[in-house]
Amino acid sequence: MARDWQPDFERLVDEHQSMVFSLAWRLTGDRGLAEEIAQDVFLELDRNMTRMESPEHALFWLRRVAMHRAADALRRRHVRGVDLWIEIEENHGAPPEDRCSPLGARVEQLLTTLPEPQRAALVLRYQEDLTPEEIAATLESPLATVKSNLQRGLKLLRAKAETSLKDYVRPGKAMGGALSDG
Amino acid sequence: MTKNFHLRLATLLLIAQFAVRAFAQSAPQLIPPQLEKELSAHASDVTEVTLNKSMLSLATQFMHGKGDDDAATRHLLEGLEGIYVRNYEFDKDGEYSPDQIEKLRQSFMTPEWTPVVHEHERRSGETSDILIKVVNGENRGLFICSAEPREISIVLILGPIRVEDLSKLHGLAGLGALAEFDRDDAPKIKEKDKEKSKAKKDGDQ
Amino acid sequence: MSGQARRWEARCPMDEMNEFENKLKQAFLRRPAPPSLKQRILQQRNQRRTEQLHNRTVLWQRLAACFVLAAVIGGGLTWRHIDQQRKGEAARDQVLTALRITNRALNQIQTRLAAHDRDDHE
Repeated sequence: MARDWQPDFERLVDEHQSMVFSLAWRLTGDRGLAEEIAQDVFLELDRNMTRMESPEHALFWLRRVAMHRAADALRRRHVRGVDLWIEIEENHGAPPEDRCSPLGARVEQLLTTLPEPQRAALVLRYQEDLTPEEIAATLESPLATVKSNLQRGLKLLRAKAETSLKDYVRPGKAMGGALSDG
Repeated sequence: MTKNFHLRLATLLLIAQFAVRAFAQSAPQLIPPQLEKELSAHASDVTEVTLNKSMLSLATQFMHGKGDDDAATRHLLEGLEGIYVRNYEFDKDGEYSPDQIEKLRQSFMTPEWTPVVHEHERRSGETSDILIKVVNGENRGLFICSAEPREISIVLILGPIRVEDLSKLHGLAGLGALAEFDRDDAPKIKEKDKEKSKAKKDGDQ
Repeated sequence: MSGQARRWEARCPMDEMNEFENKLKQAFLRRPAPPSLKQRILQQRNQRRTEQLHNRTVLWQRLAACFVLAAVIGGGLTWRHIDQQRKGEAARDQVLTALRITNRALNQIQTRLAAHDRDDHE
């Protein structure tokens, strides 16, 4: 039975802190804010440990709370995509291990220029590999809305990528290879 | 300094004495203290009831029975300022003298008090006295003394006592007797007493 | 396949989109959390629990004090009520005693007067 599972807080932190942190960062585009959000999410988890019924439930719960907290933080700070783009580009304060590939950083920059609903859907889709149904449950949003956000977000992101990632496009390569690393 | 100290001490004692007297005078004197002491010394049983206004008010609050007696009692007690009772029982005759009763009666012979009943039966040694206190034409007190060879009952009720209210307390084995006692009858009773005393004197002679 | 999907397919070849999505997946790999994050989380958790325990202790102490105070006051009020009731009932009993003695004295006087009236008529 799922209730036989005894949640261990520290273990849950070890298993999911990167997930929570990444969700928060990709949604807000702010590393410091993402750390704060991650701390809040896990402290909230500590308050709700008795409600966790299974490892899957804990994971689902963490994703949902992380997305909500990040969305709230965004609304409070009214962060604009352009400002974030500058910050991310400068890799301000980011330790070496946090610096991903230039392509990844670019994609994240582009991501922050998308509207928040589309951004959220794409992050859950491609970072967490969730299905549209799972995304709808996590965001507590209608499935049709999620699919629409995925489609539009993907289309917009792809269009932006074609435009801004020209530096990474090797001469003579087709569009499909434009996003390869290096 | 010593002189000043003694002066201050004397002043304090004087003030204290007045205060004690004032306090003592606030409670009415039912029986002269010496007489009370004498009667108590010879009595085999003494019943004392001292109820001032606050005690009467408190007692009234606890008479919440729906019977006629409680209602009648409450009505009777309404406005009263005090009820003071002394009842002395003696084992044998002669434990007190008629002079002591007369002394008690004389203590109430003030202009405010009007005798309604006064009778002394020498043969049996029984004495009956009822006096009513009248202030500005209104009844403000009732004094009752019933003396028998082995029992003395002394009652003082202060306040606007209504004689007819006393008579309504049927539950207490009937007080209808008091309804007959009226100030207007006082002179007749007194004359009867005098005649009786006179007849006895003639008889004795 | 739905109409919308066909239109999408016509604009963006499926293989190109799939490759784009694959690239997104690679770009969206989870970033490792800062090393100090767990430590900070545990520190805050412990701190909050300590505060909660302290607050709870203070709360229980205050509640206990309130209970004691309520018990003292309640006890005092109860005692006072009981005492008042006792005094009231005692006063009532004394009133009844006084009235009985009064009644008996008046009866005695009435009896004597009636007896004398009879003697006089005789």
